[in-house]
Amino acid sequence: MSVEDLPRKEVNVLKGHEGAVLSARFNADGNYCLSCGKDRTIRLWNPHRGIHIKTYKSHGREVRDVHVTSDNSKLCSCGGDRQIFYWDVATGRVIRKFRGHDGEVNAVKFNEYSSVVVSAGYDQSLRSWDCRSHSTEPMQIIDTFSDSVMFVCLTNTEIIGGSDDGTVRTFDIRIGRETSDNLGQPVNCISMSNDGNCILAGCLDSTLRLLDRSTGESLQEYKGHTNKSFKLDCCLTNTDAHVTAGSEDGYIYFWDLVDASVVSRFRAHNSVVTSVSYHPKENCMVTASVDGTIRVWKT
Amino acid sequence: MDSDEEDFVFYGTPIEREEELTSRKKKAIAESSGQLRTLPAWKQEVRDEEGRRRFHGAFTGGYSAGYYNTVGSKEGWTPQTFRSSRKNRAEFKEQNILNFLDEDEKAELDGWFLGTSSQFDTFGFTAAEIARKQAEKEQKQRPSVIPGPAPDELIQPATESIGLYHVILVESWLKIIYFLSPSCYFVGVKLLLKMGWRRGRSIKDSHADALYDARRQARRAFLAFSSDDPKVKTSESEQNKDDVETFLEQSTNDDVQSSKSTPVFVLNPKQDLYGLGFDPYKHAPEFREKKRSRLSSKGGPGYSKNMSTRNSLFSLKSGKSAPGFGIGALEELDAEDEDVYATGFEFEDTYVQEVEEPSTLRLENQKKKDQKDQKDHDNLPGFRVASNTDYQMERFEAPPIPKDFVPRHSFSGPLEINHKNYDLPPPDIPPPEDSNLKILIEGVANLVARCGKLYEDISREKNQSNPLFSFLSGGTGHDYYARKLWEAQQKCKDKTKPLLDGKVSSDVKRLTAESRGQILGEKPLERSLQDSSSSVASTDVHLQFNLTDTFTKSEPFGELPDVEKPFKHDPAKQDRFEQFLKDKYRGGLRSTKSSLAGDMSEAARARERLDFEAAAEAILKGKQGKESNLGIPSSMDFITGGLMQFTSGEAEPKKDLQSEDLAQKKKYPRREEFQWRPSALLCKRFDLIDPYMGKPAPAPRSRSKLDSLIFTSDSAKGAKIEEPVLSKNISYVQQSANQDITKSTAESETEGDVEVENIERPVDLYKAIFSDDSDDGGEDPNHLKKVENQEKKAEVANTALSRLIAGDFLESLGKELGLEVPPDMPYPSQKFRNTASQEENINEHSRTNTLKVEHNSEMPPNHGLPSDQDTVYEGGPSKGDVIHANMLESGSTKINATGIYDSKSGKSNGESYKDDMKIKSPLPREQDHSSGSSSEEERKRKRSGKSSRDKHEEYRKTKTLSTHRRDYSSGSSSEEESSRKRSRHHRHRRRTESDPSSDDERDRHGSRSKERKKGSSREKSSRSRKRSKHHKHRRH
Repeated sequence: MSVEDLPRKEVNVLKGHEGAVLSARFNADGNYCLSCGKDRTIRLWNPHRGIHIKTYKSHGREVRDVHVTSDNSKLCSCGGDRQIFYWDVATGRVIRKFRGHDGEVNAVKFNEYSSVVVSAGYDQSLRSWDCRSHSTEPMQIIDTFSDSVMFVCLTNTEIIGGSDDGTVRTFDIRIGRETSDNLGQPVNCISMSNDGNCILAGCLDSTLRLLDRSTGESLQEYKGHTNKSFKLDCCLTNTDAHVTAGSEDGYIYFWDLVDASVVSRFRAHNSVVTSVSYHPKENCMVTASVDGTIRVWKT
Repeated sequence: MDSDEEDFVFYGTPIEREEELTSRKKKAIAESSGQLRTLPAWKQEVRDEEGRRRFHGAFTGGYSAGYYNTVGSKEGWTPQTFRSSRKNRAEFKEQNILNFLDEDEKAELDGWFLGTSSQFDTFGFTAAEIARKQAEKEQKQRPSVIPGPAPDELIQPATESIGLYHVILVESWLKIIYFLSPSCYFVGVKLLLKMGWRRGRSIKDSHADALYDARRQARRAFLAFSSDDPKVKTSESEQNKDDVETFLEQSTNDDVQSSKSTPVFVLNPKQDLYGLGFDPYKHAPEFREKKRSRLSSKGGPGYSKNMSTRNSLFSLKSGKSAPGFGIGALEELDAEDEDVYATGFEFEDTYVQEVEEPSTLRLENQKKKDQKDQKDHDNLPGFRVASNTDYQMERFEAPPIPKDFVPRHSFSGPLEINHKNYDLPPPDIPPPEDSNLKILIEGVANLVARCGKLYEDISREKNQSNPLFSFLSGGTGHDYYARKLWEAQQKCKDKTKPLLDGKVSSDVKRLTAESRGQILGEKPLERSLQDSSSSVASTDVHLQFNLTDTFTKSEPFGELPDVEKPFKHDPAKQDRFEQFLKDKYRGGLRSTKSSLAGDMSEAARARERLDFEAAAEAILKGKQGKESNLGIPSSMDFITGGLMQFTSGEAEPKKDLQSEDLAQKKKYPRREEFQWRPSALLCKRFDLIDPYMGKPAPAPRSRSKLDSLIFTSDSAKGAKIEEPVLSKNISYVQQSANQDITKSTAESETEGDVEVENIERPVDLYKAIFSDDSDDGGEDPNHLKKVENQEKKAEVANTALSRLIAGDFLESLGKELGLEVPPDMPYPSQKFRNTASQEENINEHSRTNTLKVEHNSEMPPNHGLPSDQDTVYEGGPSKGDVIHANMLESGSTKINATGIYDSKSGKSNGESYKDDMKIKSPLPREQDHSSGSSSEEERKRKRSGKSSRDKHEEYRKTKTLSTHRRDYSSGSSSEEESSRKRSRHHRHRRRTESDPSSDDERDRHGSRSKERKKGSSREKSSRSRKRSKHHKHRRH
């Protein structure tokens, strides 16, 4: 994939959020995107046509993260009200609320079968919630972190959490082992490479670090953007050829995966780019910003 | 069958099945009286008017679904058999409302269905059915020997009279049909045809299972009729048959498919010598045709033609139908209708052919021809296979490959080298005579090796006109150049290889070099370079730099063709520079003596070296520039460090950064691995197998801090029990200040105390009580080890906490935990008074007395406290294994046993308690306690002495505690049962209470260890349960 194929052309601007947008995510097939923000709403968009489809309101405070099942039937979201909401996408009703976190919930993810929601909270814990039963208790609480857990990623067999204590911890359910990779810098965001072999960790020292999952060694560092105080997202492109992340100055950066050179950077938003999400198949990207807009980028 | 019952004679009134009757009646009564209304919704049952429980609301309300609300039938549910055959497709069964109806309901619905009636019996089927029914009815009336449905033979005589009429009717109708032209059918038939009905199909849904049997039987009956016809009405039979045949012929002409609906009488004489049912052409039907044609050629033209026609006409869907049996008028051909023994020949009545011969001949001729044509379908009649065709396979050319396309992915820059490395080495060529050329070639080769092919291309382009560079484009010395280039590449290979992994690898490499130095115990090299004047800080900073510089590049760079002198103005420096260059390109370890300027400071030297480095690069660059006549910066970008970077001013901070980075990198990322136990449910939800499946449940991660207190085994006394309970209390208070809970714990504790008062054999009793606890304690460290180190830490803290004895225990604890001392402390004491007064009635002891006793009983523990801690480390682990094994062996059974045991002891508890109270004699008890305990202590473990002050404090503490505790003894048994939590505690205590008798015995035998084991294993379950409970609480 050459540099020209990077999504740098603005296709749509999704406006609707009143206030900062904290997260924007494509769904599994990339046809829709979900955003959530400080206005306590979750919004469902068709980014390709620039249409706002639905608004989900129920959160009492800002919504920090949202994730949708692979069959698009359920949502989970979390935020400042210390709860995880489990939504029905079609009706927009809250099916269940998972309470238990002692602090704000930073990130939330479904597992592959959409049967478990794993949430990462300010209370230094990862909690897994059961969507199948009606139990209100978390199935498991992982509290080996020593600071706020900022992000969580799930694979088929693993739970990966990134924390402000500088660690990326991988909990392998199959083996029953916790692997802690200490990066020495607070980890804001983690993102799996599409081949599943690497983890991209966004750290608060304005550096993205690429880790080899099997050995835990650092493969590359990506610098140039500023990320010192916000929780910003980073991700790899669909081909794993480039790394992209937002910056606190409103820029979006693209790095070459291998040689870590900044391949492209352009001003995308007026304010902090909080979230970037790359289309799973096409060269398309959505970015969300504190300026309240979500922008859709294509080649 | 009903017919069976006919044979018996019944006397009296049959007794109805009671439950059925009663339940129905009851329901009916309940309904009538409106009682059902009063029942809650989930207790009401839906019944139909006959009191049967039915699945309501299925269609119009009140039908039963399936077979008595099941999916099955009377025989049970059988899945449809799998049928896979090209000819026999598994039929799609359409469900019908009839499948779900009861008989009575069906009867009700009868009027709604469209069916043939005898008044207008189009196919004579209804007549047959009626006949059949009639026959059955008659059959029923007569006693029969043969049970089961009326066989066809039996029907005949019975139905003769009626049957005849109907047969005549049918035949007449058929006649009418045949004599009329096909266009003047009945209006009804026409209508039906227009509606999509076709001949041979029943008007009702033919698939309806309910009707299936009846129809089949009717068909059989019909067949019976028709076969009977000749006998009954000989005069008409011939005509009738003729009619039937003509009808068949006509209908085929009409293209209306009716063959299935009319009976055909096919005689199939066996003409071959094969065994019955053997079909030689079973798998090769085409030969059958051949054989037949051969036969027919023998038999004559008319015959053969007819045969084939018949074949085509009557070849049914399945190809074979049973000869001799027709298919029912309203019947479709089914699998069972196929003739299992079919020979494959379908012969027709010859006389039919005779009748029909003239009319059908032509037509058959044509048909046969058609058929034949179709058989060898490659040429249609009137067409010939062309000898040559215009059609040609269209071929599309592959897209042209660009001329410069290399079928290999190439990375820009130095990566290219690596690919080249895999090429075969060019032959070794002696260098050209011209030394200048040789040097030039070598230099270029080196450069190219380092810079990549791009550089070669560019320089070739630029120097096309220059004869000196002709070796690049295949001129003189090209071979030598190729060889040199390959060599240089080989040399570069090692260096460049790590670059493939990305730039980080270079850092990593540095790191490894350093770490390797450390591993090998190499002296930090800066020491040799170090000047006395150099500051510590600077060496620190330079360490990394020196290390990396210590090893120089290994590739030979040849001699610089024309060494520029960048430091002309400073000859000494120039010398050093030259030396530097020499060193640099000589390879290997840099001689530490190399620095000519011994008086230079380390920092200065470093700076100078940077300068040199930069200069060297510049020279190199200049050379390249010369060679290519023009600097091509793009091709050199990869050469680390441009000229500008190595100005002395910038060098320092960069170095700093670098070293800092390296230091950090050395530290991070750091990988650690821990054991982590996913919960079973999580595994299930992730669809994974629990890696810890079958292993004992883990100790909860963060248990109540105080719950994990450790007890000694034998020497533990009242205080020991005191402490945990107290701590439990506190933890509870801390959790939720739940008075009930504290009460319960205290209660359980007091029960223990009450037992204490029962002092026949105080030592044993104590042991019985406390050894259990201590076993718990012993267990704890075991568990902890199994779990996590962090917990250990917590536990150490806990033990430290437990050791806290100064001042009021509660208060200090409260302070420690940052909590207020529970305000309900005085309240219990108040309560206690009441209870004590009650007790007074029982055993005439003053309250103070009992209190005293308790204090006494709690005295020994003060002694034992220090040993408590000892056992944490001594006894615990050693015991742990045994305990654990025990637990593993008998996990659940033990639990059960304890449960039973508990309940028993719970019952007996109250009584024994009273007895104890009566027995005890206040005065000697104190003595007993102390002596017993002390002796026990001596026996079991040497005890570290305890300061009297400690004792005193402990005493005070226990005193307060005891009062606090005592008051809860009022807890009635009912109260115990009320809360689960509490009962658990009780169980625990009670077991300890009820142990004494058995424990006494055991003790007498002197097998203490055994007892301990047993106790611990029993304890285990409740203990763990309790812990988990605590754990939960902690999590509020």
